[in-house]
Amino acid sequence: YLQVQFFFEHLTPQVIVYMSLSVSKLNSNILIAENRRAAPEFSQKVRVLCWVMTQPKHLKSRTQHIRATWGKRCNIVLYMSSEVSDFPTVGLNVSEGRSQLYWKTIRAFQHIHTHHLDDADWFLKADDDTFVVLENLRYGLSKHNAEEPQYFGRRFTPFIAQGYMSGGAGYVLSKEALRRFVKGFADGLCTHNTETEDVGLGKCMETMKVQMGDSRDVLGRQTFHPYPPDYYLPRQTPRPRPWYLIYEHYQPVEGPGCCSDLAISFHYIDAVQMHTLEYYTYHLRPYGYKYRFKLTTLLSKTLIALALETQWFTRKALVNPNLGCHSFKEERTSVCLIVMCLRIDGKSSFPNI
Amino acid sequence: MKALGARSAFYVGFVVGTCTLYVLLRQVGFTRDLGSRESEAYEKSLLEMVKEENKNWKKERLALFNLNHPHHTGEDGTLADTLYKHVRILCWVMTGPNNLEKKARHVKATWSRHCNIVVFISSVDDPDFPTVGLNTKEGRDQLYWKTIRAFHYVMDKYGDEADWFLKADDDTYVIVDNLRWILASHSPEDPVYFGRRFKPYAKQGYMSGGAGYVLSKEALRRFVEGFRTKVCTHTSSVEDLALGQCMEKVGVVAGDSRDTLQRETFHPFEPESHLTGTFSKTFWYWNYCYYPIVQGPQCCSDLAVSFHYVNPSLMYLLEYYTYHLRAFGYKYRYQPSEPNVIQDFNAPAPGKVEIGDIEEKLGVEEQEGEKKSPRT
Repeated sequence: YLQVQFFFEHLTPQVIVYMSLSVSKLNSNILIAENRRAAPEFSQKVRVLCWVMTQPKHLKSRTQHIRATWGKRCNIVLYMSSEVSDFPTVGLNVSEGRSQLYWKTIRAFQHIHTHHLDDADWFLKADDDTFVVLENLRYGLSKHNAEEPQYFGRRFTPFIAQGYMSGGAGYVLSKEALRRFVKGFADGLCTHNTETEDVGLGKCMETMKVQMGDSRDVLGRQTFHPYPPDYYLPRQTPRPRPWYLIYEHYQPVEGPGCCSDLAISFHYIDAVQMHTLEYYTYHLRPYGYKYRFKLTTLLSKTLIALALETQWFTRKALVNPNLGCHSFKEERTSVCLIVMCLRIDGKSSFPNI
Repeated sequence: MKALGARSAFYVGFVVGTCTLYVLLRQVGFTRDLGSRESEAYEKSLLEMVKEENKNWKKERLALFNLNHPHHTGEDGTLADTLYKHVRILCWVMTGPNNLEKKARHVKATWSRHCNIVVFISSVDDPDFPTVGLNTKEGRDQLYWKTIRAFHYVMDKYGDEADWFLKADDDTYVIVDNLRWILASHSPEDPVYFGRRFKPYAKQGYMSGGAGYVLSKEALRRFVEGFRTKVCTHTSSVEDLALGQCMEKVGVVAGDSRDTLQRETFHPFEPESHLTGTFSKTFWYWNYCYYPIVQGPQCCSDLAVSFHYVNPSLMYLLEYYTYHLRAFGYKYRYQPSEPNVIQDFNAPAPGKVEIGDIEEKLGVEEQEGEKKSPRT
């Protein structure tokens, strides 16, 4: 231990920063600092355009509840219908009905590509009975590049070789995926070959070589859900797959452990459930728990502990809200903490700063 | 000759068709044969589930003692843990032999895990579950007898091991950590009890039975003493009202369980009804609530404590919604200050600094900073 102490006493700031950067590269699973400022930061870094598939009949019974709950959390939200209205809805050149769903999807994405391609990085499709937690969607997408051709959702296996994403649970296309989808139709490589919009889109994605993303969290739990929570959460004795889990690509888990803490969507949610889910997600919680990042290596912990002991910073430095976690391009938590170490209010004990 | 050819052609065609169909369906992934290999795996995982759970509980003297707190990893639970040690709650759940499989076992699997001690009160002893039988029969007319005997029983057996004594039904869901927050700023030596306050029939009101109510140790002492001195007797089978009247007689105060924004924490119905329902003007509820009723999203505190008429499926959902589902990075708008009682225990020992400490102090100081400059 003495040797380690000697080593650390002679560390210069540059060495610390270097060490922590290399440590952080090992821990690609560290949760990005779930500090109180993460949500507003993310909304500008991970811009999501949401479009909601709806119809004039449903505006009052369903869509207005989306507008009142999660709709406002998107960077841009578009309500796609067959008629323009003051809701406001976008009028697509389609008629209503289950047989028109894929036409609606095609026209909607074409509309977005024409008018909003540069306004967002990711493009989410949801139904008017889907509940989406935007913050968790942004967190999940933050690790991925919007210029890569990929799309995320709840992966189903049948009908398409690479599978497809469930329409009801919602799916999100990267900017490149959107470009390829629209190009596919422009070039005739993709056609309206089915009425089932999720399968149809999945086929086009496969044709245009768009990758299927894995939307599960670090513990392998699902984030997109094509049915309401009560289909998955109640505890079951181990049993063969029920009918609503037959299409699943990944091995489904039933009961607690099915669904990520940072769940992104649930489907078949009626108006009452929308508001109740809003309460459960953004209000109801147990008192006394704080969510925060967790450093997972011994070295990181040692670094921090030794930094504390040698008093290289004061409490005031820690509390300063302008500390540069977000001013760094590499948002790795260990770098953030070392920055805190180095900021001593005025009195620097490092000759090189 | 021709007939033979046709028949064999039919058979060949049939076989070819079946094989093709099988291969196609296989492609799609529809065949899910449950071989004996797979059913063994299922049995094994069930046994593992049960074994895991038994590690967290010590079954002793027909009650369950919680061995493991806090209940979630990956979170900073130091505040919840401090409250757990200093606000010890014994939960007793009113149930019956017919409801053990249907309702009580779901209570056991979900919210009662967060209590310090759990006792299931029934009419029959069952050392396996475990439940306690208190020489009563089943039925609505037995409710107050069960309540009286239950409180006497927990006073007798566990009076020294808990500070607060919660009564709940087997269709009540209680968020015990939020209950600790409410109780932390009161002393168990005060004669007080908390719940959803109703106004009729008693001068200071009484607490709704279904929504659950919690007695301080002093309140429980006075209740038991009241029966010994015959100040309180079995007046009626309406358990919550009768208990409320007894409380009044022995000088126990009916406390205000609302949060710092005057929002209710104990709820006599399930969340949907409170959040989105409108009660008709002639509904009894309007005449019963002691405090003004709010319908819609402000009905219920962020730190709600209980809901009633919760079916087993909703128990698991509420457990997920409360302890798991959250929005990443979201800052909750309601940030009440820490209860007074525990602030002394949080002061760090001089010279010894722990990582967890820094985060907590950071949280407290940030909150104070915001009080000076309120954010809209």
